[in-house]
Amino acid sequence: MDDAFDSAMHGLADRRAAEADLASTVLRAVPVTGASVSTLGGILEKETISSTDPIAARVDELQFDLGEGPCWDVVAAGRPIFEPEIQTRPRHRWPAFIEAIQREPVGAIFAFPLSIGTLRIGALDLYHEGPAELSDEDARRAAAMATLISRYVMRRALRLAGEPDPSEHRHARRVVHQATGFVIAQLGLSPEDAYLLIQGQALAQGRTMNEIAHDIIDRRLSFTTDDGRIEEES
Amino acid sequence: MTKTSRQERLLEVFATLADTLVDDYDTVELLQMLVESCQELLDVSAVGLLLADADGNLEVMASTGEDSELVETIQLAAEDGPCIEAFRTTSVVHVPDIASAPERWRGFKAAALHSGFASAYGIPMRLREETIGSLNLLRTEPGELNRLDLRTAQALADVATIGILHERALRASDLTRRQLQLALNSRVTIEQAKGVLAHTHDISPEEAFGLLRTHARSHSLPLGVVAERVVHRELIF
Repeated sequence: MDDAFDSAMHGLADRRAAEADLASTVLRAVPVTGASVSTLGGILEKETISSTDPIAARVDELQFDLGEGPCWDVVAAGRPIFEPEIQTRPRHRWPAFIEAIQREPVGAIFAFPLSIGTLRIGALDLYHEGPAELSDEDARRAAAMATLISRYVMRRALRLAGEPDPSEHRHARRVVHQATGFVIAQLGLSPEDAYLLIQGQALAQGRTMNEIAHDIIDRRLSFTTDDGRIEEES
Repeated sequence: MTKTSRQERLLEVFATLADTLVDDYDTVELLQMLVESCQELLDVSAVGLLLADADGNLEVMASTGEDSELVETIQLAAEDGPCIEAFRTTSVVHVPDIASAPERWRGFKAAALHSGFASAYGIPMRLREETIGSLNLLRTEPGELNRLDLRTAQALADVATIGILHERALRASDLTRRQLQLALNSRVTIEQAKGVLAHTHDISPEEAFGLLRTHARSHSLPLGVVAERVVHRELIF
C-alpha cells in the first residue's frame, strides 16, 4: 500500500504526466470506486480534466449543471468534505444534487479542494459505489495527492493561457523572486508554490507577474492565513 | 588611497580570492566580494557582474548596490549595451561618453545617465574558448580608465571566471553549464530570501540583503546556504 501511495505521488509530481491519467493515479492509492479532477471556482473554467469512469464524470457534471454539491463547497471553504452516506444521510444541504444522485450508483463522496495558496482552482472528487468511510490515513493521502494535482492543474492552466512570460524585462525577474519571498513568509508556502501563486494571480487578474510582484513588494497586496484558511488582502 | 596602501590592498584582495578558491566557497559571495573590491580599488563608481544562462542571456549576479536603479542600469547594459557586446565579441567594450553612445543602446543610455553615470566598460569573463559573462564598470566621469586599473579589472574578472569554472577541470566538461546554472539559481534563492526578510522585518529588499550578508558572515556560512535555509523556513532571524 505504501508503495502504491509512493508511486502515485511520484506519478502526480511528474510535470509530463498525461492529464487523463490523474484520476486513475489517485485510485491506485485510495480504496474508492472512482475519482475525478475538475477545475472550477472563478479563475478557471468549469471542466472535468480527468475521471476514472463515466460515473465519476457524471458526479462532476451534475454538480456543474446544478451549481451545488461537494465540489463547489470545498472550493468555497478550502476544506475537504466527507459524505459517507450521501444517499440516505447527507450531512450537507444540496437539495437538487442529493435528489439527482439518487439515480446514480454512488453511496459515498469525498471531495478535496485544489488550491495554490489563496487561489482555489478546483476539486478532487472521490466516490464509492456503496456507503463508505474514508480512514484518516486515506484522507491524508488524498489531501497530499490533491496538493500535487493542484500544481499540475495550475501549470496546465498557465500553459493553456499561453503562459504569459514571467517578464519581458530581465530585471523584473528579480522583483518576482523577491515577491516570491514575501509570499513564502506570509503563507508559509514552498518557493515553488509561492511562485505559482503569483503566476496564477497574474492570470486571474489579467495582469503581468511583474505588476503583481510590485504590488506585493510595495505592500499593496499581501496574503495572510486566518484560522488555517488563507485569505487575500488588497 | 596612497600607492603603497593600494598595492597592499590589491594583494590582500587577490590573496582572499585565492583562499576562497581553495576552500568550499559560495559563488555569489565570491562575486559580491569581487565587485566590491573593484569599486574600492579602481577609479570607478559602481560595478556589476553578469553571468549568461543557457540561452545566452546575461543576468546580474552581483552589484555594488542592490537598489533597483543600479541593478536595472546594469541589466540594461546586458540587454543592449556594453556588457552584452563584451560577452559576444569577447573583447573589452569601452563607452567613454555614454551620452553619445549608439542609438541602439537607448535603454541603457537613459538609465545610466539618469543614475549619473558618464562612462562605462564591459569586460568579458573568459577562460580560453569559454565566455561565461561580463563585468560592468560604471563611472561618473567621462573618458578612459587608467591602464593599470583596466588591467586590474581584467585580472579580477579572470580570477572570478576561473573560480566559477574551476570544478570543470575536476569533472566532465559538460559540467560548465551546470556550474553556471547553479550560480544563477543561487541568485534566485537570494532574491527570494531578501523577500522573506523584507516581509518579516518590514524593511526594503536592499536592507534585507544587508541582513542576509551580516548573518552569513557572523555565522561563517556561505550566503547561498543562508538564503536556502531562509526560504525553506529552516532559519528564522
